[in-house]
Amino acid sequence: MTTRPDPAKAGKRRFRPQRRLQRKLAGALALAMALVAAGALYAVFVPEAQEARADADPTLLREGEQIYNNTCITCHGANLEGVEDRGPSLIGIGEAAVYFQTSTGRMPMVRQEAQAPDKPPQLEPSEIDAVSAYIHEHGGGPERPEETGVDLQGDNPARGGELFRTNCTSCHHFTGRGGALSAGKYGPNLDGLDEEVIYTAMASGPQNMPKFSHRQLTEDEKKDIIAYVQSVTDGNNTPGGHPLGGYGPMPEGLIAWIVGLAGLVGVTMWIGAKR
Amino acid sequence: MSSEPRDQETHGAGDERPIPSDAELSEMSREELVQLGGRLDGVEIVEYHDPWPVKGTRAEKRSERLVAMWFGLAGLSALAFLGFFIWWPWKYAPPTPGDGQDHFLYSLYTPLIGGTLGLSILAVGIGVILYTKRFIPHEVAVQQRHDGPSAEVDRKTAAAHLADAGSRSTIGRRKLIKRTAGFGAGTFGLAVGAYALGGLVRDPWGGPEGEKALTTTPWQHRQPGEKVFLRRHTGNFEEISLVRPEDLAAGGMETVYPFREEDRHDHEALVHAIKAGDAPVMLIRLRPDDAAHVVKREGQEDYNYGDYYAYTKICSHLGCPTSLFEQRTNRILCPCHQSQFDALQYAKPVFGPAARALAQLPITVDPETGYFIATGDFPEPVGPAYWERES
Repeated sequence: MTTRPDPAKAGKRRFRPQRRLQRKLAGALALAMALVAAGALYAVFVPEAQEARADADPTLLREGEQIYNNTCITCHGANLEGVEDRGPSLIGIGEAAVYFQTSTGRMPMVRQEAQAPDKPPQLEPSEIDAVSAYIHEHGGGPERPEETGVDLQGDNPARGGELFRTNCTSCHHFTGRGGALSAGKYGPNLDGLDEEVIYTAMASGPQNMPKFSHRQLTEDEKKDIIAYVQSVTDGNNTPGGHPLGGYGPMPEGLIAWIVGLAGLVGVTMWIGAKR
Repeated sequence: MSSEPRDQETHGAGDERPIPSDAELSEMSREELVQLGGRLDGVEIVEYHDPWPVKGTRAEKRSERLVAMWFGLAGLSALAFLGFFIWWPWKYAPPTPGDGQDHFLYSLYTPLIGGTLGLSILAVGIGVILYTKRFIPHEVAVQQRHDGPSAEVDRKTAAAHLADAGSRSTIGRRKLIKRTAGFGAGTFGLAVGAYALGGLVRDPWGGPEGEKALTTTPWQHRQPGEKVFLRRHTGNFEEISLVRPEDLAAGGMETVYPFREEDRHDHEALVHAIKAGDAPVMLIRLRPDDAAHVVKREGQEDYNYGDYYAYTKICSHLGCPTSLFEQRTNRILCPCHQSQFDALQYAKPVFGPAARALAQLPITVDPETGYFIATGDFPEPVGPAYWERES
């Protein structure tokens, strides 16, 4: 029997050093790829830090602090901690709340009363930006939307109407006419509001209004609600020419009796007249 | 003035001239026939004013044109109605500033069809009345009328006639017919009454839930250990959106309805769960510093989940939806009669006519899915009182 070397075994022996090198290279490559992939995944999945305003413009923050000290400090305290029986703490209320309260003129308040009414805004838009940045810096909270104006109107006002009737109608009436609450408070009329005002009101829950987080009403749902509100307020829902207050059968019945009946009496008299 | 002489006078009025014979009638002109007819009824035409004694004046032509104008207007505006009804853009267009034109046209649809059709019928009416006023001669007629009751002889004979008809019908002595007629007509009346009112009579215990109809709600577990989730209504019954503890912000409130996994593809059941009158529940997340002051009701200490409290939306006074939640004062207001409930004290009434607290739903979080579930039905009936209610 001749002993011939097994070609396979010989081959293995011959190429072993090369294979080891290959394996090392492949290992290094795989490790590098895994690291790159993990890094990429991390970058994709880890959200932006919640306190993104930490790098807000320091001059803006200083300006905001100045405005805060001039207009808000009496009721909300030197460190935004609130003052007993005057004003609540502002830590964590977010820039959405500041924008809503100041741009509708509710804050600064004229006096302590059941509810701060809206009035012409006391702060300039640039001052509002500064003071919102300053307050948002302390504790974060609901943010202002990225879009403004018409871009905040969703494309499905019908769904917005369903959501409005489920969540908002009890206080604001089903076409946004407003209504009474307890002890002098009221759900305000929604006429003539900017889209951003409606959005920030839902997101921040001003005064006694419940807060609607983005997980309860998604941003798209909020935009549909805005589209619905804008489609029924500001005289957009008055096919008869005059809304008569928009309160339904009471004023309409009264007008029907007074105007309609008087008209019928007049016509009857004309029919009976000689000429 | 006594009535007797006048009575005689009117009776005599028609007898002044005898009724003409057939031959005389055929000789009479239309005008004479009209006068004869009036005289037979005791009517005398005093004046028969022709509005246009001179034919073809300009004033007459003007009146003619005026009436024609109104009828013409009626026709044109009816044509306009047909045109608007068929071709005007009637589909809803939202009032977005970009294409506000569409919304403007749409918003005119109802006023246009209402206005044109209304103008049409109004113009027809005005035309008819104007024609009457301008062209129909204004007659003045006098008719004698008699005072007091009819003459004694008329009354006696009429009464005798009725009594005679009654006795000749022999109904007085046919007791069988009288009784069966009474039975037939009376029962028919009863049937009509039952038909009218029967639909209003309802047995509150007669539904599929039997005696539990008023004491239980759709939150009642069908089998022990069943999971009844809390779902929100997004406007689409099929879109199941369940609620997790992180969904509501502090100071938030959401209306939730029962959902069972077995109902997921059952449209009927999904709609019923949301439309049922006693199903809506207010899920309230208190702000942490308020939650520290909560007073719980005896026996309901474990009904809440953290800061989350679930109360029925149905007012304990008369069943209105009490969803006016004020997040700063933590009061729940009922809009119908201004009852107020304190969310920090097991929703007990603090103002207004309501006498009982809003029923609280026991909730917790399902350890498997992380969604809220109701661990049972309300401990008491929701809504207003009823006879059998004990508390």
